[in-house]
Amino acid sequence: MSTHNHEHHISTAGQLWAVGTTLFILTIITVVVAKFVAIPPPFDVVTAISIALIKAFLVAAFFMNLYWDVKFNAMLLIMAVIFFLLMISITLLDTMYRNDVVPSF
Amino acid sequence: MANHSTSHPTHVHHHFVDSDQQFDTAKLGMWVFLVNEILFFGGLFCAYIIYRAWYPELFQMAALELNTFWGAVNTVVLIGSSLTVAMAIRSAQKDQMKGLKINLLITIGLALVFMVIKGFEYAHKFELGIFPGEYYTYEGIDHPQAAIFFSIYYMLTGVHAVHVLIGIGLIYWIYLRAKKGEFSSEYYTPVEITGLYWHLVDLIWIFLFPLLYLIE
Repeated sequence: MSTHNHEHHISTAGQLWAVGTTLFILTIITVVVAKFVAIPPPFDVVTAISIALIKAFLVAAFFMNLYWDVKFNAMLLIMAVIFFLLMISITLLDTMYRNDVVPSF
Repeated sequence: MANHSTSHPTHVHHHFVDSDQQFDTAKLGMWVFLVNEILFFGGLFCAYIIYRAWYPELFQMAALELNTFWGAVNTVVLIGSSLTVAMAIRSAQKDQMKGLKINLLITIGLALVFMVIKGFEYAHKFELGIFPGEYYTYEGIDHPQAAIFFSIYYMLTGVHAVHVLIGIGLIYWIYLRAKKGEFSSEYYTPVEITGLYWHLVDLIWIFLFPLLYLIE
């Protein structure tokens, strides 16, 4: 870190456009799959979320520059996702195993 | 490039060793804030997951009221704005101040397009009587808990839209600073950090779109 600017990755315009174009194509794919391909549940949701995760990875890695960045920042994002999954799991352990759904909810 | 720890450029605050340390520190701070944002939206996504697990048929029926076409257009608009923000940062890194300003303006334009489309979507629902919570009066969905889907819809998209509005303000502020010539390849930290925020707004929408509009 002693020399200036050597660590700042500069993406080429071509790289950025490639990522953007991939995101556009994935958006079209997710719409077409959801509207015109009959996937039995729950795999329709699994497919939609998988495509969204690929898109999220591309944005985080190449638009937010995590791929070239200090690894600590990537760890922060991964920790956020882990704690989010923890929050959902623990909540679902309650809500999915109630005898009666709370009235009016 | 010369080592700046001795020559201390004007943008470096006195408590930082050099420009790089200041840059990395600012970025780390922004990422900690983004973690907080993810968990903040996480609570709303959690509500979505619980209710979808409880009432899967409601989500299928209610999602038909949402217009997939405009949702997809807004997805493309937001991804496009993420691309222009990335291009803006690249311009700043390469000392292309004109490119920086143009890309920031395009980003603001795309964000406004997003808000206008969202506004039309909301207006259409309000006409039908689709309001959140107890104000819900729409008769078109045959389900006793129909209002719940739209309460979740309005919370998720509403909070997201507030983030878009804040983003527009931030990017305009960055644009004004760029106009004053405050940025260069040596110092573009605010551009980078505002960019991170904007990409997160895009990230959230990448999940909102399939979860709300694409339920079949």
